[in-house]
Amino acid sequence: MSSSILLRSTLPRALARRAALRTALQVRSASDAAEFKYVPGGPIYKGTVNDPTTFPPPSRVHGSYHWAFERLLSAGLVPLTVAAFVTSTTAHPILDGLLGVSLLVHSHIGFDGLIVDYLHPRKFPVLGKVCTWALRATTVATLVGIYQFNTNDIGITELIAKVWTA
Amino acid sequence: MLAASTRSALARTNLARSFATTARAAQAAPVQKPVVEKEFKIYRWNPDEPSKKPTLQSYKIDLNQCGPMILDALIKIKNEIDPTLTFRRSCREGICGSCAMNIDGQNTLACLCRIDRDGGKDSKIYPLPHMYIVKDLVPDLTLFYKQYKSIQPWLQNDNPPAQGEHLQSQEDRRKLDGLYECILCACCSTSCPSYWWNQDEYLGPATLMQAYRWIADSRDTHGEERKERLQNELSLYRCHTIFNCSRTCPKGLNPAAAIANIKLELAAE
Amino acid sequence: MMSTRALGMGPALRRAAFGSRLAARNQVVLRSALGKRAIQTESLPPSASETILNKQRLSRPSSPHFTIYQPQLTWYASIFHRITGTSLSILLYGFSLAYLVAPGTFDSAHIIEFVHGLPDAVKYAGKFVLALPFTFHSFNGVRHLLWDTGKFMTVKGCYTSGYAVLGATAVSTGIFAFFY
Repeated sequence: MSSSILLRSTLPRALARRAALRTALQVRSASDAAEFKYVPGGPIYKGTVNDPTTFPPPSRVHGSYHWAFERLLSAGLVPLTVAAFVTSTTAHPILDGLLGVSLLVHSHIGFDGLIVDYLHPRKFPVLGKVCTWALRATTVATLVGIYQFNTNDIGITELIAKVWTA
Repeated sequence: MLAASTRSALARTNLARSFATTARAAQAAPVQKPVVEKEFKIYRWNPDEPSKKPTLQSYKIDLNQCGPMILDALIKIKNEIDPTLTFRRSCREGICGSCAMNIDGQNTLACLCRIDRDGGKDSKIYPLPHMYIVKDLVPDLTLFYKQYKSIQPWLQNDNPPAQGEHLQSQEDRRKLDGLYECILCACCSTSCPSYWWNQDEYLGPATLMQAYRWIADSRDTHGEERKERLQNELSLYRCHTIFNCSRTCPKGLNPAAAIANIKLELAAE
Repeated sequence: MMSTRALGMGPALRRAAFGSRLAARNQVVLRSALGKRAIQTESLPPSASETILNKQRLSRPSSPHFTIYQPQLTWYASIFHRITGTSLSILLYGFSLAYLVAPGTFDSAHIIEFVHGLPDAVKYAGKFVLALPFTFHSFNGVRHLLWDTGKFMTVKGCYTSGYAVLGATAVSTGIFAFFY
């Protein structure tokens, strides 16, 4: 009997305290949103532990086409390299040009792989983008350089052959 | 051979003594095994003291007073030397995947890893590499499980048979061998350098092998959607065929080959 | 039961159920006499668990990785493949850009003349430094292409092909550097 009276007298106070606590928590959770922001690779995850991770939007150009193109190009480099070894490239300028462009694209994909692996824009929004565009510009400039050297000079294969026996 | 001859020699002495002191002879004094002291250096970090950096703590135990596996040593240390040492363990026979950790540089299950009896060399035990640590040898596997859930690891078939179960030829069933045995211990994923650098987006070998397990299942009709989800530069194509996954798998499975199969199937579309 | 919860004596009663009866009863008597708990607790809604967990997550360290992982042919060959490929590509880019900027200084005649004037030791060393990454990256590239078609996709295949690449690299580097 006495306990029920006690209960009745303490109940509103307990409720009030709980309500105050709840508003305090809501205020806190508003600031928590900034404090516990999702950072790619960080210890805070998107969603609850029961939510599955999500996938980037599907794109075959970034998926299987890119993969298959890279493999075909690399496989093509094998006969090109062998051909450059056994023939004189001054007699075959097309072969030299083809090798130069293939090596350039192969290199570009390799550099791009480095950026995706180590400096992806999702993790490095500024540096990643700067690197991506710097790589594109450099590749274009290099393409011009290779073209100039192959047309105005002796071409890369011949240069390597001559430097090797110099 | 040697053991047999000593045993028969023991039996003979027992026989000779048996008339005089039967009871004492039966309880022959146990052979004193020499002490083989081995040092274990174990990664420690306590969440109650978060400002303290993780350290390697050294424990020395007598291998002749301990079971043969690394897990036996860990349990012995926890029981007898330091009850605060924290690690996951359950089945102690390599089927639950709880005690996955990095032992002497390799990811494996502590219950399947024998202690190197060379007492001169210490054994270093770290948690699974490049994971957030809850305490000592316990990594946070939340993301790993969330990724596993993302590939929808259950049978999806729009035209279930009107009666009975999904039937499958023996040949089709054989395609799942070497895939379904995975216990999701995360040894392979956390051995993969690509997973170290990009684990927020790259799914890692364990999850990708399970993705292939459902793509390869003849009873599943959602293979196209499963494959379509992997068509981006991060989820699947961060695999560079490094082979750490297959090299380290404590169950002897081959995640690298499963991923190679996914890549071939995607390229053939 | 209601009253004990209001007084916050649940834990005390629970202890009484498991611990020594007499001592526990004394404790209950003592507590109800004082009407106050020694330990301050805070009542939190279930939604607060997320905040507590996230706070813990932020203090967690990341475990060590490549510094403690066992050196193995698998990942050492992979990173060496990347390093050799990158350095050869940098050489290609660097030379092409240099020729684009200053075609008078970096033309073939000048380069060949410069290399011709170098001492033999430097020539051999230079050839070695160029031939090693080229041969390794080429042979290991073929190994990767074979893997992509499904060949040698076992741990054993990985190791036999890996040692074959190392052997072929050593032999061809020696030939290119010293006998060509």
